[in-house]
Amino acid sequence: MSASRVWAAAALVALAVVPWLLARHQLSLLTDLLIAGLFAMSLDLIMGYTGMVSFGHAAYFGLGAYASALVLLHWAQPVPVALLAGALLAGVVAVPVGWFSTRATGIYFAMLTLAFAQFLYTVAYKWRDLTGGSDGIAGVPKTLLFWGGPSVAAPRAFYFLVAACVVLSFVLCRAVVGSPFGRALQAIRENERRFTSLGRDPRPFKLGVFVIAAVFAGLAGALFAPFRGFASPEVMFWVFSGQGLMMVIMGGIGTLVGPILGAMLFILIQEILSSYTEHWMIFTGVVFVLIVIFLPGGLVGTARRFGVIR
Amino acid sequence: MKRREFLKLSATGAVGASMLTIPPRSWAQGPIKIGMPAALSGSNAQYGIQAKRAAELFAKDVKGKGILGRPVEFVFEDTGGDPATAVRKAQKLVEKDGVKFLTGVALSSEALAVSAKCPEWKVIFMSTINGAGSLTTKSFHRYFFRVNTSGPMGARAVSLYLAEAPMKRFFALGSDYAWGRDSVASFTSQITAVKKEVVGTDFSPVGTKDFASYIAKIRQSKAEGVYLVLAGQDATIYLRQAHQFGLNREVKPIMEILELENMKAVGDPMVGAIGSSRYPFTLDTPKNREFVKRFHELHGMYPDMFDGETYEGLEWLAQVITKVGTDDVEKVIDAWEESTYEGLEGQFLMRKCDHQAVQPGFAVECVKDPKYPHPVPKILATYPGDKVTPKCRTEEFS
Amino acid sequence: MANVLEQLLNALALAGLLFLVSAGLSLVFGILRVVNFAHGVFYMLGAYLGFTAVALSGWFWPALIVVPPVVGTVGALLESSTLRFIYRRPPIYQLLLTFGLALILEESIRVLYGPTAKGVDPPALLQGAVNLGGLLYPRYRLFLVVLSCTVAIAVWLFLSRTRAGLVIRAVAQNSEMADCLGADVARVRTLVFGAACALAGLGGVAAAPMTTAYLGMGISVIVEAFVVVVIGGLGSIVGSMAGSLIVGAAQTWGAFYLPETAMVIVYAVMGAVLVFRPWGLFGEEE
Repeated sequence: MSASRVWAAAALVALAVVPWLLARHQLSLLTDLLIAGLFAMSLDLIMGYTGMVSFGHAAYFGLGAYASALVLLHWAQPVPVALLAGALLAGVVAVPVGWFSTRATGIYFAMLTLAFAQFLYTVAYKWRDLTGGSDGIAGVPKTLLFWGGPSVAAPRAFYFLVAACVVLSFVLCRAVVGSPFGRALQAIRENERRFTSLGRDPRPFKLGVFVIAAVFAGLAGALFAPFRGFASPEVMFWVFSGQGLMMVIMGGIGTLVGPILGAMLFILIQEILSSYTEHWMIFTGVVFVLIVIFLPGGLVGTARRFGVIR
Repeated sequence: MKRREFLKLSATGAVGASMLTIPPRSWAQGPIKIGMPAALSGSNAQYGIQAKRAAELFAKDVKGKGILGRPVEFVFEDTGGDPATAVRKAQKLVEKDGVKFLTGVALSSEALAVSAKCPEWKVIFMSTINGAGSLTTKSFHRYFFRVNTSGPMGARAVSLYLAEAPMKRFFALGSDYAWGRDSVASFTSQITAVKKEVVGTDFSPVGTKDFASYIAKIRQSKAEGVYLVLAGQDATIYLRQAHQFGLNREVKPIMEILELENMKAVGDPMVGAIGSSRYPFTLDTPKNREFVKRFHELHGMYPDMFDGETYEGLEWLAQVITKVGTDDVEKVIDAWEESTYEGLEGQFLMRKCDHQAVQPGFAVECVKDPKYPHPVPKILATYPGDKVTPKCRTEEFS
Repeated sequence: MANVLEQLLNALALAGLLFLVSAGLSLVFGILRVVNFAHGVFYMLGAYLGFTAVALSGWFWPALIVVPPVVGTVGALLESSTLRFIYRRPPIYQLLLTFGLALILEESIRVLYGPTAKGVDPPALLQGAVNLGGLLYPRYRLFLVVLSCTVAIAVWLFLSRTRAGLVIRAVAQNSEMADCLGADVARVRTLVFGAACALAGLGGVAAAPMTTAYLGMGISVIVEAFVVVVIGGLGSIVGSMAGSLIVGAAQTWGAFYLPETAMVIVYAVMGAVLVFRPWGLFGEEE
């Protein structure tokens, strides 16, 4: 078996076994980390593989969360239905947003994604009847795995649902990135002018990956709502998008698995530091600045550089 | 060789993971733990910090004797004012630290999210800051208790005062989120019920830093008073800018919450503003004077509204636990319902139907007092609890 | 009539403030190609230092003169110790570095000053209101308009008419060529970054009497500044002026007629501009 297959198998085993090794609150934290990891990985699709920096990715997480919350609270459907609803809503909204935004590049693209995300945030904030307004939707239940099936309310059960979704998403993203579509994306990232000069139009590719990334972000949000039991506008705010960018860089841009680890690192640092001092933001900022300057490849990139992994 | 490598990796992983396991604590006795997932950083930090200050004073006051002879332990966590973080921290407090009581949550949005999980966790959520009416109406559940004056109650106190005041025309300016909208609606319905007029209503986005346009509209409306339901910092900015436009002389600022934080930040331009205070520290009772003195000794400043309300909540909770002889959550809930408490502000009654503490409401005015380094609230009127508390599970008043 | 004049002045005062904040942001992007997320925090630093300066000296005017260079120095020091090392990397790294710096700075200010907002009174000369044909308008806002116009003209003259300005523009166009021709590119970058932060600091000092110095100011202004700069075109001072006027007007009239949607209107304007001119009104094609 090649080294990366060994790592993959080890990770799968660890994921499967860990619920019986961890205390309850640690399992909750791990579930949280996996959801954030899925969000960061989806961002890596556009950021790492296509070279597009989005300031508005949190909006899709939020859309997924709200759709999931409403489906679970008002129609009491099994959780996978809510997940599908969340992913779909995020994807559908990403189409027009992506179409407009990809007309621009670089910082202008980023600003357009920010503008649309803030617009969606404002809608969520003000449409009180549907979204609960600034208070959000609370009391979202964890329902069943499928109609007539077992409940996923138990921490271990829900953890497995999340882990399964993350693993599945990872496999799908890998497939996307390795496909001809994915290679085209990387060509666009490397040199968009040359791509165009070869007679190909980058825009359908950029739009495509934008929507795919949104779908996975929406899935993460749809998992978040029943896990935390609520959806609120804060999860759509641009600060959360910025944190996503930080997670991707910390983990390793353009590696898919890196951002998952980066998300975990980011949240763990905050969790640990904030229990010691109110001023944990300073330390988080310093750690982040150091990583940006000295370890630009993030966790995975640095590991590769030092030959720890391929 | 590859298989051995693989087995070694898995074994290492399993050993490593098992070292993270901490067996859950299951002591029958031991300290009484109160978790405080408060906003200690970010733009709403001033509210979480007030809860923390109150807890610190309370911890000092019960040092040595504790509750039921057991020491009291506060576990603070910083939520940054974000509901998702608040739920995460609260879950950690419940699952890792084993707290049975959660309090000190600063924002209503955080409170709604955290409180919704409390029936699942079987812990008590004690609100000492959160004003949202829905916490005791639509979102009410057995494990929720509200010790503080709610937003509707504050609005009621103001309306009762204004019903007697000579002013007849009001403009309402609220921050565009749940509290602002609900409070303005509540005020509008109450003030029109006493045959007065609301000549204009506006909602400014949270975080507005230039109120010039609103000030222009308020002036044009020829209102005599402007009912303000603005988020803390927005209120500070509005008051200063209105002062610069000379508006405060023409249109009296009436605030649903008249906070010390605003008075310290705005200073003299705020003198003359009236409104309601959830806990005015200038209250002249022996118990309160004592409290203010102890607070000032420990913290070097005077207690603001949430300092006082949080302290009252903690003291009351301690009394209930002492009375029932255990910190078992279900027994505490039963004992707390319909119990009374002699607080800093007067007598409190915990209603069984919605777990809202019925308590006096205060109409206050911001005045200058040479004894203090900043303006302070002077009590204009006190209203008994049953007049300011809405009917059970509704937003209507009797 | 007084109504229209009042709104016009409100829009100008707001635009003036926005210009002071966004001019630096635009310059940093145009010349260093860096999206400076920490820019809002320098604005906040200026406001807080202004508070301290006024508290120490009892006067407002010294604060206006002393604080911007201090803020600029802080910025220059940060640039030369962190940003300088990563210019060759893809832009995302510089952007995120400034994001990290913003976190550090913002929390540091909170440690130093505490969570309560700090009020700053306008100087005696600028207190009160002036009677403009029946309209009572605060003197301080008029001063803001005058100040920002003066600064705008000064910066524009500096960049277009002086030799130093020429060097800066050369570095912006082609840093390698400028380097070959003897310009000290690293020093130019540090100076420009410092100057941009000084401008933001000046904006902060100027804003403090109007809005008080408070902790959320950096976050709340940075998004608006980005919008201004994007509308106007990154790297263009004239663009920043135009963008500030547009955003200031949109916010003022939006707040008057449709207050709850004011920011959405601004975003819509930005979107519309980008549809027709994807590099902003006065920006250059990348």
